[in-house]
Amino acid sequence: MTDAQRHWLPLPVFGVILLLWELAVRQSGQFTLYPYPVGVIEAGIRTIADGSLLAATSGSLYRVLLGFAIGGVLGIPLGLLMGSLQPVNRAMSPIIDSLRSIAPIAWIPMALLWLGIRGNAALFIVAYAAFFPFVVNTIQAVRLIDRNLVNAARALGASRALIARTVILPGSLPTILTGARISLAFAWGSIIAAELAMGIKVTAGGSGAVGLGQLMVSTLYIRRDVNGLVLYMILIGVISLLIDLLMRQLQRNLTPWR
Amino acid sequence: MSDALRSAVPLPIALRTGGSWKHYLRRCEFVLALAVVGGLWQAASVAVNNSTLVPPPLLVLDAWVSLWGEELPNDIIASLVHLGVGYGLGITIGLLLALLAARFVFVEIIIDPIVEILRPISAIAWIPLAILMFGIGGGVPVFLIFYAAIFPVFINTLAGIKQVDPRLVQAAEMLGASRRMIVTHVVMPAALPLILAGARLSLGVAWMALVAAELTGADSGLGWRIFWYQEFFAMDKVMAVILTIGILGYIFDTLLRWLQARITRWSPDGSEAER
Repeated sequence: MTDAQRHWLPLPVFGVILLLWELAVRQSGQFTLYPYPVGVIEAGIRTIADGSLLAATSGSLYRVLLGFAIGGVLGIPLGLLMGSLQPVNRAMSPIIDSLRSIAPIAWIPMALLWLGIRGNAALFIVAYAAFFPFVVNTIQAVRLIDRNLVNAARALGASRALIARTVILPGSLPTILTGARISLAFAWGSIIAAELAMGIKVTAGGSGAVGLGQLMVSTLYIRRDVNGLVLYMILIGVISLLIDLLMRQLQRNLTPWR
Repeated sequence: MSDALRSAVPLPIALRTGGSWKHYLRRCEFVLALAVVGGLWQAASVAVNNSTLVPPPLLVLDAWVSLWGEELPNDIIASLVHLGVGYGLGITIGLLLALLAARFVFVEIIIDPIVEILRPISAIAWIPLAILMFGIGGGVPVFLIFYAAIFPVFINTLAGIKQVDPRLVQAAEMLGASRRMIVTHVVMPAALPLILAGARLSLGVAWMALVAAELTGADSGLGWRIFWYQEFFAMDKVMAVILTIGILGYIFDTLLRWLQARITRWSPDGSEAER
């Protein structure tokens, strides 16, 4: 089998599967119970037209980026400290390890209590999720730096600050960026979970700040629209794919020597 | 890995006692760190002076201890059942699919794009649809864990089988090994480190999916219990359950890492797999 065949063979197979699916749902006549391809497209057109899809997606993305930034601003310096100073590492790593084991979503009740439903609770969850990949990978990044380079710079008379700026930072950048990629992907998964849990559990006082998760909950419980749910799932998948592609591109651009 | 190596290498007595001293000191640092966290927590709760908003650590500890005599064991068992069924199904089917894909090219051609399409859709995105399909109950967490666990195992197993050195297989063939024997004695052991790394990755993802699924779509388990206590504003109990989730997650990861290092002691991949 040639390469071209390998790439193109799945397409007709999927086409047939989608067609059969559509026909099967049409045959059963249960349009509200099962999702079907045309219905998903219709749901897409409807939610784009009334603006709810765009508003929810941008709301979720905004909180993800903000939480990601908070996680990075707090996580990278801590990781640098823990990676370069052994006592700090030994003192902090049990704390970090035990907090890391707690699923970010488990904090939702406390976050709701502390920050309220106006989006800040979800932001806390996202920042919490984004923080740990940054810390772990930055520690790893500092450890992976070639000691010979540091010693060479020191032998040539470079000051500590100069070494930090010209050896440690560029040397650790690739691994830190890997951490950023993991962190953003994890943050995106967590915001959906946080918004879903908030949407399901916090019925009083409206939906609060609206994101994709809340939109899914209202689609599930109020509009009972299966096609809409499938559409949002596809959208979530596409966005996480885009996030991954974007971060990889960024990694290539920022660290071309890798 | 480095600890295992160090203990395997005979050291002079003086160095060995030095090592144990260091070990002792390290343990002290852990206790110190714990004390600092507890102190900060206590300070925060004193400053806020509201045991609902920031329950003091001793109150939470007290709640945790008393919960062991009440619902906590049942909740842990319920969560473990969800995890066991979902994770067991996930790694079994992931492994089988990967074996099929490795054996038959057309299976790989069909499954691979499906995996690539579904993989970016996180388990969490399935929650509403899972609630619709299975209703509120045990089905939602089991399905979500199954879905979360299947991809890392499938991808790592396939990669593990593909990276087996063909010379090993050829050597076994030349020595007259049957096909079955090659699979059980050459391919599987060579792929094992990556498979186990995949299984560990799966468990981490599955644990997160479990908590999210139980929070939103289950009627038992630790995640569900968090919101149950929140309804009564029993925040000390909420914190106690959150801590239990953290402790269990930590235990699982440590256990699997230990198992991984033990089973594939000979492999550099197995002892220090990437997270």
